[in-house]
Amino acid sequence: MHTVFSVAVVVAYVVVLTFVAWRARAAHEFKEFSLARRALPLALVFGSLAATYVGPGFSIAFVGRGFNSGLLFLGIGLAYAVQNILVGLFVAPRLRRLKGCHTLGDAIGQKYNRDCQVLAGVISVCVCTFLAAVMAHAGKVVLSDVFGFPGWSSVIIIVGVTTLYTTFGGLRASVITDAFQFSAFAILLPIMLLFVLIFHLKGGAAVFAAEAIDATSAGFSSTSFIEIIGLVAAFMLGETLIPPYANRALASRTTRISRNGFILAGIFSMAWFMVMVALGISARTIIPAGTAEDFVLLKLVKSVMPAEGYALLLVVVVSIVMSSLDSLLNAGAVAFTQDIVKPFAKVPDNKALTIGRSATIIIAMIAASVVPFVPSIIEGLLICYTIWASAILPALIIGLWIKQPRPLAGILSMGVGIAVAMIAIICLFVFPSLIDVPAIIIPALGAGLLAYVAGHWIAKIREERQICQ
Amino acid sequence: MSVIIMILVVIVALFAIVSGLWVARALIAAISHNGSLPDTQNNTDEQNNNQDIKS
Repeated sequence: MHTVFSVAVVVAYVVVLTFVAWRARAAHEFKEFSLARRALPLALVFGSLAATYVGPGFSIAFVGRGFNSGLLFLGIGLAYAVQNILVGLFVAPRLRRLKGCHTLGDAIGQKYNRDCQVLAGVISVCVCTFLAAVMAHAGKVVLSDVFGFPGWSSVIIIVGVTTLYTTFGGLRASVITDAFQFSAFAILLPIMLLFVLIFHLKGGAAVFAAEAIDATSAGFSSTSFIEIIGLVAAFMLGETLIPPYANRALASRTTRISRNGFILAGIFSMAWFMVMVALGISARTIIPAGTAEDFVLLKLVKSVMPAEGYALLLVVVVSIVMSSLDSLLNAGAVAFTQDIVKPFAKVPDNKALTIGRSATIIIAMIAASVVPFVPSIIEGLLICYTIWASAILPALIIGLWIKQPRPLAGILSMGVGIAVAMIAIICLFVFPSLIDVPAIIIPALGAGLLAYVAGHWIAKIREERQICQ
Repeated sequence: MSVIIMILVVIVALFAIVSGLWVARALIAAISHNGSLPDTQNNTDEQNNNQDIKS
């Protein structure tokens, strides 16, 4: 009887999701595929942003970190919330105000030159692909652990389904399905937390507080100061305006909606991290102490929920993965078309749409094949954050703010930033005991910034010399 | 102190639930308009952005 109800719950969810995706309709032009015709209202910008960043890292992994490190990761997560709010106040409106931009690469191209746009496009596609691989890895963890599927088939199911609706629907399908998935997990996971606190937490508020203190102390004692700084830097900068977020800023109906969407997403993230960490802390009284980080949420759900609720929550967890994955696939495909293909060839709209769709499929296939090399969810994310923050952020943020950004500064900062990030990542794999993942973002970002300053200064001197001559 | 922490946790959980309901409402409105979002593609960027004077 339980199995019948559980299957019915899963089928009902899939039917509703399919209906929502179908109602989003296929994109018929590239502007629809890439920007949803710049028609996104506030609630959908907010919901889609939140659904994109609430991936397995900010859900499954955060519950695990709450389980092991208490409130430590809540503090680190607040850096992410601050970033969103600052982006909403100071960066997203400036981005939205640029004319004719489909991508971040477009914005960089307008501020610097075509070479910078192409390099930004290559970096965007690579980061989207690697992040998609991390999402696919998380999906594999869920489906393999729960249903016992072989790893490769779990990856194919998750990536295949997501690729299908993203390929045909583009950004609009991604946003509409994100909104549905956001509604599901934003409602159900907090309800589950309340359920655990009321019915399963042995000892009530006093025990919760005691476990929070124990876990937080353990977290601080096992994490070095430089690691904490690195984690704060990574969460503050690592996802700043990654292509899916930039696309939503550009697709907002107005600059005000763009700004408010990011601010609301930042405020929501504070609440979300608190819910996830609280789930992890509550789990300390319910599941065994040595449970691996990425399995805490699943084991907690299995322990406390009735069979039907378990099935529904599993589907919600899979939705969390898919809502991030679809945004990354779409953003990577749009970046490929707009920043790598279009600068070199005049491409009519229908051909651009075909290229975008093909790129979605190819990026999905590459992401699926990289899954075996993903270390863990958080480590995979931190590696991607290091590349993105050091390669793109100095050129993007400074370029949006100063009057005359120099192309040499853009090229140098992106080139040096990514080179130092890649060297640090290689060292991480070669000397794993010597280097901590969170710490590598600091030298890489520093190198990118220094290279920008140097490039700007050199370009300025050259211009002054030319004027003198 | 522990009770205060618990109350705070409950408040943020309720905030998250309300956010989910808000987006669900917008989603229903979006897909009930024949599956399309309002069409502003013939508006120029300035026409759309002029809706907010101060940003």
